[in-house]
Amino acid sequence: MLSNSVNNDKVIKIFSGIRCVSKDQLPRYLDGRLTEVEKHLVEQHLTDCDLCFEALQALEKEGSTEKYADLTSKLQRYIQQSIRPVSQEQKVAQYTRKERNKENLLVYFWVLAFAILGVSGVYVLKGHMRNNPTIPRLMVSAIPPAEAAKLPSSETAVTSQPIVTANHPSNIPSAPPAVATTAPASSTAAPAAVDSARIKLLAAERAAKRKAQADSLLKANQDAAEVRRQDSLKKLAEEKDKEQKEKDAAEAAAKAAKEKEKEPEPAPKKEEVKKEEAAPATNSIESLYKSALQYQQQGNLSEAMDRYKRIEANGSGKYVEMARYQLGICYRSKGQSARARRMFKEVVKMDGSLKAAAQQALDTM
Amino acid sequence: MHQQLTSLSDKELISRTRKQKDREAEGVLMDRYSHLLVAITLPQLQKNPSLDPNIVFPTLLQRLSASLRTQSIYKANEWILHMQRGYLNNQDKATPFYPSREARDLLHIENKVDRASTNTIDRQEIIVRLEQALQRLAPEEKKLLDEFYVEQKSFSELAAAKGWNRDKVRNQLKAAKAKLAKLFINQAYVK
Repeated sequence: MLSNSVNNDKVIKIFSGIRCVSKDQLPRYLDGRLTEVEKHLVEQHLTDCDLCFEALQALEKEGSTEKYADLTSKLQRYIQQSIRPVSQEQKVAQYTRKERNKENLLVYFWVLAFAILGVSGVYVLKGHMRNNPTIPRLMVSAIPPAEAAKLPSSETAVTSQPIVTANHPSNIPSAPPAVATTAPASSTAAPAAVDSARIKLLAAERAAKRKAQADSLLKANQDAAEVRRQDSLKKLAEEKDKEQKEKDAAEAAAKAAKEKEKEPEPAPKKEEVKKEEAAPATNSIESLYKSALQYQQQGNLSEAMDRYKRIEANGSGKYVEMARYQLGICYRSKGQSARARRMFKEVVKMDGSLKAAAQQALDTM
Repeated sequence: MHQQLTSLSDKELISRTRKQKDREAEGVLMDRYSHLLVAITLPQLQKNPSLDPNIVFPTLLQRLSASLRTQSIYKANEWILHMQRGYLNNQDKATPFYPSREARDLLHIENKVDRASTNTIDRQEIIVRLEQALQRLAPEEKKLLDEFYVEQKSFSELAAAKGWNRDKVRNQLKAAKAKLAKLFINQAYVK
């Protein structure tokens, strides 16, 4: 049974496919230098394969193994030479094609990217121009430096010294907001200008400041003259009023005396006295304040402060507040910040019309 | 790459050449059969001095390469022999190659056996049917096949025993095998 199964296994060998005799095997079979197993395999193949059998026969007959070996090596070299270059060329061609494709794709990509960038840039710029049409830079630089200097110089003349005049006390609280509004305007103009333009502006500003100081002196003088004129007018008007009132009072007194003959006179008289006292006091304080302002503007701070202190000591209400405020400014310009701060605090405490200005001064210190 | 290709079978090399247009695979296939091509062409070259090996072999290779792409090839050895004969008989006309019926039968059985190599059930079935086919052979043919395949006697031993020369032994074996293959295939149809 066992031998039968082994035989059976060998039977299947009849139809097992075997490769052709190799270049190495063929001469060895001819010389009988193969092992038994190998020889049997070759013979099995030879029964099927006409090609191998014919080759074997040819080699046996001719006996010219040298020519066979020579031709075989030649043919193999020829095959290798003809195949390899072609395959290498194919590979190189494939590689170059791939590279070219990649490059083309890259080129397309960049062109597309730049186009999109350009279009979007134009779109954004248009939107920007539409939304806030700003003054182009060229126009700013085209303004002559003198003119450009005038604009900020007038502002600085206003902003540098917030002087409080007696004529327009109601304007004072509104002054800081005005400063606040003008300051941004100058700051928006500044970044737009080119650096050289800015330098020019600065130089012009310095020149303008000097000019402005002289101007402000003149202005102050003019203001003082005007104030004096107005005061004289006022005085005249008041005198007229007084006369009228006295007349009225006299008439009224006469009438009252005639009609009732009791308590008519003392009240009006008292009023008159009071008025007579108050008017010169306010007048003197006012003039003091003005002269102090003048001194302050001239730069004679000690004189000005002396006057302010006197006003503070003698004066009342509004003038005390203003004097304190100016004192604070004087202290600040002298560099005595503690005293300046105290003054401003007092002004704030007084809760008058200058409260906001003082608070601002405190904040900025 | 070349190393990997040399280990492939003929069938795979041919399909690579066709489908992937792989010149390297074609080169490997030609290289594999180059020595046999030279050996079978040698007698003709010596007989006919007008044939120049520098012309014959390149043109032969070109013909083979052209037919490799167009024709169905079952067995490379058969195909190469056919092409070589066709070329030497008529150098102008390219004779198309048609594998013989016997060769196809043989290939069919070989493939079957190859597939059954790892499947014991199929293997047993094939063995049983082979035995049956062997029984239907002529006794001398059966004996010859048994001696050659089972007892593993060589050509020379058989030739000495029978008193034939080696070629006759080989031809007898081939004829017996072809008969067996035919019986085996017909058995399948009968069944």
